Amino acid sequence: MEKQPQRIVSDSGFEIEVVRKDEGYFHVRVSRANVIELILSAKQRCGKNILQLISVVDRIEDDIFQLTWILEDTADSSVFIVSADYPRENCSVPTFGDIWPTAVIFERELHEMYGIEFPGNPRQYEDFLLEGWKELPPMRRDFDTLEYSIRTYGERRKRIHTDPRKFIAETTGEWDTPVPMKDEDR
Amino acid sequence: MYCNKLPEIPDDRKKIWEKVDNMARANSLWVTAFGTGCGAIELRPLHTSRFDMERFGIAMRPTPRQADVLIISGYLAVKTLKRVIRVYEQIQDPKYIIALGSCTMNGGMYYDSYNTLNILDRYIPVDVYVNGCMPRPEAIIDGFSLLMKKIKEGKAEGWKNYIENLEYYRENQKKVISNWDLPDYNW
Amino acid sequence: MTHLLLSITVTTIAALAWGLLLGGISRMVTARIHGRIGPRLTQNYIDLWKLFRKKSSIHHGTMFWLAPMFRIAGGAGVLLLVPLIVGNTVIVNMSFSGDLLLVVYFMFFGCLGMALGAGDSGHPYAVIAVSRGLAQMSSYELSFSAVILVLAAGLKTLSIEEIVMAQQDGILSWNLFRYPFATVAALITFLPMQMAYPFSIVLAPQEIPIGPPTEYSSRLLSFMFSGRALFGVAKLVLFVNLFFGGASGWVSLLIKTFLLYMFPIFVSSVFPRFRTEQSIRFLWFVPTSLAAIDLLRIMI
Repeated sequence: MEKQPQRIVSDSGFEIEVVRKDEGYFHVRVSRANVIELILSAKQRCGKNILQLISVVDRIEDDIFQLTWILEDTADSSVFIVSADYPRENCSVPTFGDIWPTAVIFERELHEMYGIEFPGNPRQYEDFLLEGWKELPPMRRDFDTLEYSIRTYGERRKRIHTDPRKFIAETTGEWDTPVPMKDEDR
Repeated sequence: MYCNKLPEIPDDRKKIWEKVDNMARANSLWVTAFGTGCGAIELRPLHTSRFDMERFGIAMRPTPRQADVLIISGYLAVKTLKRVIRVYEQIQDPKYIIALGSCTMNGGMYYDSYNTLNILDRYIPVDVYVNGCMPRPEAIIDGFSLLMKKIKEGKAEGWKNYIENLEYYRENQKKVISNWDLPDYNW
Repeated sequence: MTHLLLSITVTTIAALAWGLLLGGISRMVTARIHGRIGPRLTQNYIDLWKLFRKKSSIHHGTMFWLAPMFRIAGGAGVLLLVPLIVGNTVIVNMSFSGDLLLVVYFMFFGCLGMALGAGDSGHPYAVIAVSRGLAQMSSYELSFSAVILVLAAGLKTLSIEEIVMAQQDGILSWNLFRYPFATVAALITFLPMQMAYPFSIVLAPQEIPIGPPTEYSSRLLSFMFSGRALFGVAKLVLFVNLFFGGASGWVSLLIKTFLLYMFPIFVSSVFPRFRTEQSIRFLWFVPTSLAAIDLLRIMI
């Protein structure tokens, strides 16, 4: 069994863009039709037996979600990373829950935080961190957290000045500086 | 086996015992070991020989049934608020709350977060605030001594406030906890 | 009759006060070993008063309420059945009416009531602690029975009064010097009785947070605390009577119980905790074999 996944990349019949190649580190970008094939062959032929993480970047300017799967070989800790782009609207991504059970939990979290659908994941509609969330998924960049925070939890109590002396003098009237500081000393 | 009764304020207290009781309460504060946020890590040094909070009679209890004080240590997420309500209502009267850090006062650096409460005392009654991000152990000891002073003067009555205004607090709690499934009062 | 009641009341209250004071001293000593200042001497009294005056509003069934009373009754029972001072005719309580076996039964009684109450509270940690505690108790009861066998075979009696009287001819007639191995075995079983550290699998602060009293609060907890203090003093007096020649006066009683009380504190300050099966195996084999050595010496 070869350790580096170059062979897979060169054998594959589809286009693969190599992002970065290093000792024990291989990052590729593929089109979303070939994600399953590439990841499965990396698992079977190169011994990348752990799914470490599924991460998402919300690139709202390009109107895409960039998903990244990080696979690891437990024998020599070498990493194989696969990235693919998916459209933001009605985003639907294949699930890896039947191959790696951890993927079920990662995908649940992504569904809750970004609203990404993983058809075939048995537990994707369960609550993960947010209990009973009814708004837009909070990690999407079109969700306005400040507006939501003020609407739900109330506006924060603000301080009027950033100068503590003035603030304490106004609220308590007890601040008495023997030598007033000049503005250029501050 | 559930109790559906709401709590009542005891009114048969005799003033002369009240003073002795308050002295005893102030000198034996037992804290629930429940860290709600990042400030829990600042409580650990209080056990060590450098700060030693046992010399004030402060001890950690592993169960809310035996505790007097609940420390809200740092930011409070909505999910944790639900657990805090359960723990707080299981503590037997009289009970006190100390809130640590600027996050509990106005949200601190999490003021625009989607799940952190901005103003804590809308949801549970706070007796003493300790500011800082995070407060040093000295500041926490200072907060404890302030609480002791308040108890000795008979002014630490957040728990009575909670019983009197239970509807107000419940309304606010239900507003932020969207899947409310707690009983009327968690005995 | 009035005299007996008065004497019982005085003994119990004095033992409670002494037990709480010993508890306060033990907390101070532990703190000094850690390099801390530690709580004040009266901390245990303050804690007890505060707990007694706290509101209690939890109900878990009848046994839950009765368990602290069982605990106090067990402690007081042991205390009243044991002669406090040799030759004292003013405070005799009921020391003439019971022998060593009855005392051992009473020691079991308190723990058993505690176990039932903790089981009634329904908290999983309490139930785990109860099952551990009963397993450990049956194992140290075995070694303690072996020690009792040594005393009974050597002195031809089970009455505590007579055991004490047999030790009155100078310091070398103490059972400590007559049966040294049995005394060491008894001191080892004293550690789990006091829930001291290598055998503290019942309270186990870091594993099952506090064990049996998890659900106990306010007034019931204060009863439980006082029961524990009473029990502690009763066991101390029993051990002083069995192995250290009894007490010839009040001062000697206080000094001997104080020194004996320091033993589990020092041991528990420096030892980590056994696992349950390690603890049981140790208590089965080591103290029992030590007692068996003395038994063989008596037989031969």
